[in-house]
Amino acid sequence: MTFLIRTVDRTATGREIVRDRTATGDTLTIGRATTNDIVLPDLAVEQHHATVSVAERGRLHVKSGSDRTFLHDGRSLTETWFDPANGAELGFGSFEFDFSRADEDTILVTITQAEKEYGNRDAVRGFDLASALPGKRALAWIGLAAILLAFLAIPVWSNLARADRQAGADGPDQVAMDSSWSTGRLSEAHHALEQNCEACHVQPFVPVRDDTCLSCHKDIGDHARSDRLLAARGPMSAGDAVLWSVADAFGKQGPTACTTCHTEHEGSGRMLPARQQFCADCHDGMDARLADTRLANAHDFGKDHPQLRAQIHQTAGSARLTRVVIDGKAREDNGLRFPHDRHLSATNGVARMAGNLAQYGKPLECADCHRPTADRYGFLPVMMEDACESCHSLVYDKVGSTFRTLRHGDVAQMRADLVAMDRAPRSPIVEARRRPGEFGRGATYYQDFGRPTRSYIGTANALSKDGVCGECHLPTVKDGQQTVMPVFQRSGYFLNARFDHAAHGQEKCTGCHKATASRSARDLLLPGLASCRECHQGETAAKADVPSGCAMCHSYHPPNFRREEDEDGNAAVPDRIARTTRRRGVE
Amino acid sequence: MMASLVSRDDEDTGFFAAERRRSAEHGSFLAHRRFYWAKVSGGLALFALLTYLLVDVEPRHNGGSWYGYTLGTIGLGLIVWLAWLGIRKRRPTPGSWSLKGWTSAHVWLGLSLVVIGTLHTGFQLGWNVHTLAWALMMLVIVTGVYGVTVYATLPARLSQNRREMTREQMVESLGMIDRQLEAAAQPLSREDTDHVIAALEQDVFSTGVLDRLRGPDRDDATRRALARISTGRAYDHDEDDIAQQKVRALLGRRAGQIDQIRRQMRTKAMLEIWLYFHVPLTIALLAALTAHVVSVFYYW
Repeated sequence: MTFLIRTVDRTATGREIVRDRTATGDTLTIGRATTNDIVLPDLAVEQHHATVSVAERGRLHVKSGSDRTFLHDGRSLTETWFDPANGAELGFGSFEFDFSRADEDTILVTITQAEKEYGNRDAVRGFDLASALPGKRALAWIGLAAILLAFLAIPVWSNLARADRQAGADGPDQVAMDSSWSTGRLSEAHHALEQNCEACHVQPFVPVRDDTCLSCHKDIGDHARSDRLLAARGPMSAGDAVLWSVADAFGKQGPTACTTCHTEHEGSGRMLPARQQFCADCHDGMDARLADTRLANAHDFGKDHPQLRAQIHQTAGSARLTRVVIDGKAREDNGLRFPHDRHLSATNGVARMAGNLAQYGKPLECADCHRPTADRYGFLPVMMEDACESCHSLVYDKVGSTFRTLRHGDVAQMRADLVAMDRAPRSPIVEARRRPGEFGRGATYYQDFGRPTRSYIGTANALSKDGVCGECHLPTVKDGQQTVMPVFQRSGYFLNARFDHAAHGQEKCTGCHKATASRSARDLLLPGLASCRECHQGETAAKADVPSGCAMCHSYHPPNFRREEDEDGNAAVPDRIARTTRRRGVE
Repeated sequence: MMASLVSRDDEDTGFFAAERRRSAEHGSFLAHRRFYWAKVSGGLALFALLTYLLVDVEPRHNGGSWYGYTLGTIGLGLIVWLAWLGIRKRRPTPGSWSLKGWTSAHVWLGLSLVVIGTLHTGFQLGWNVHTLAWALMMLVIVTGVYGVTVYATLPARLSQNRREMTREQMVESLGMIDRQLEAAAQPLSREDTDHVIAALEQDVFSTGVLDRLRGPDRDDATRRALARISTGRAYDHDEDDIAQQKVRALLGRRAGQIDQIRRQMRTKAMLEIWLYFHVPLTIALLAALTAHVVSVFYYW
């Protein structure tokens, strides 16, 4: 048997070089070793890879020399038989063997080598990073599209497409993804609107309008009529004018808009109160710009603030309130006689008496009579039954073991009780030594059917300046009848400011209220500005114990003040501008 | 000494002018016009910082105050102009500014954005599109600073590593080693040739970004083949020994050549990688900036 071995090589230009040689014998060894009949310079081929031998009936038997396989018509085998007349293709590494029968005694073996590619051939471009990364342009487009879609297209589309445009709409009618537009958390009071931007930002490209704020804050009052506000502020500086003209060009509502002072998205927590400067812009030297104002100038609590003024009852028995300057000379007359000094003494009879009473056990203190309101903001009116009666007893009779007490607060009732006192048998209030002939228990006496003159005298005595009523009350005559002045007590004295007693709980009462030195109920025991300024100075006073802005005591928006549109334009100058928003406690 | 050697006539011939221009062209873009843009940028940042401290904004500094809007407008203008470099550099000298001057301004004014953009936020940052724009801006600036740094330091390393070889020569050298290796490995045993095949099939260029940045001296098919053929047969004096020695030497050369290519690739990757962040992030920044500005006025 002869094997005609035809080797086909390719030149670099693709031209084929065909070399033929013959090998005679019944076997043909294939492998990398040079001792083989067919040497295959391919590292993937074994040194002695396979042997081809002639089998019976002209068939060929191929057997692997080791357990390395070869390919026979695409199948991976270690041993195979085939008839070269039918043709066959064997694969060893990168070499292909085509078997065919040339003639009776010759088998043609055509060997071709597949192109081998190890890489590294056209690789200069591989030095560049571009060969290992997606293009910059692709990355840029992806980022651009993702951001514009998520943060612009979706919010805008869902804002325009929602069916229910009511503020506070829920679910599908809520604008999607617009929380990514929020520049910061809302203040505590507006926290519920955090996910509901469209509640305030009603119309696209239109600033938040006052109407939107007032749709919830219905009861807020105007600080003053807007023409007076503008007059009080005076002309804007050139810089402000420029800024506001720019803001105007962008649709902002102007310096009196809610949003000018109340900036949102400044972080959770309480909305910050207006700064002192905000008030001072108008109230500093305001009398020059607003000639008819009754308000004194103020721009800093420590430096420029009018003396405090209190609303008091100045005329005994009159309900009319008068506003007076707390200058130490002002006197009030609430209808009572009450020397604070005597009641607060630690040594006198009052102190001894209080010490003997179980409910006090020691000399009196302020809190024994003055009870705070539930919110500890101000004080409840002093009630005679709770505060005074344990010493200032109204007992006038004793029946058996029960004492009869005059009814406090009702002069007619008291008079009737006293007149009727002797109509019933009674034992004396005081067990004194009996004198002969005066009175004998069990003896027979007459009934006095005449006018109860003695009782009238007793009534008159009680209502006199030195009587049991006159001890504390101012006697007077009304409609020809003896009576006492009505009493007026107040929980708060300030009209335009608020004073929170709870906030001053660490202080002693007498630190501000000079009660221990007060000999008359007519003394106005309210501290003046100097007393406040011991701790409180202006907002910028770094050394003060409590740097205090205007908003600590004053509020800008009076809740019970009518809005401008409700008011007739020619209303007289209001006698007050702002009123405290928090009028807490019981008045 | 040198100055005295040059006569007045030389200056008149324009030699000096040409020389000045030549040296200007080879000077760093950072120092362009004696750091003119560095001074402009520093002045701008300082001015912004001073006004930020002096201007009283109620209740606190905020992008939404008049001052905030002013800074924002300046920042927006700067960002758009800086991004314009991507277009400007593709159009050779359409205006009076040289590309070098433009690049110098790009770098220095870009740095001033750190101050201007951050003051514009009033340090009020959160999880929103506004802070996204700020964060993207900062990332773009950081990648840009990295870029300037590596452009200033790495090219020297690149030419050092090349040792007078072009990239083509490095690739060709590797190819020659491979061809020799293939021939030399023919007498080797099965196991050894498997390792050699693995080494030959190893494509030094088909690696990812991280591998490129990791550089040379790493365990790979070539080094594994070298390790096997070195240690496994170091004292084995069989008939294949000569072939093995040759293969060993060739594998050693291959490893050396791969290391050089890898060093080159690493340096190039370090030089180029920042642009893969700088450019897409800039485009993303422009998108975020658009969303930022539109959203502010949409919910005005």
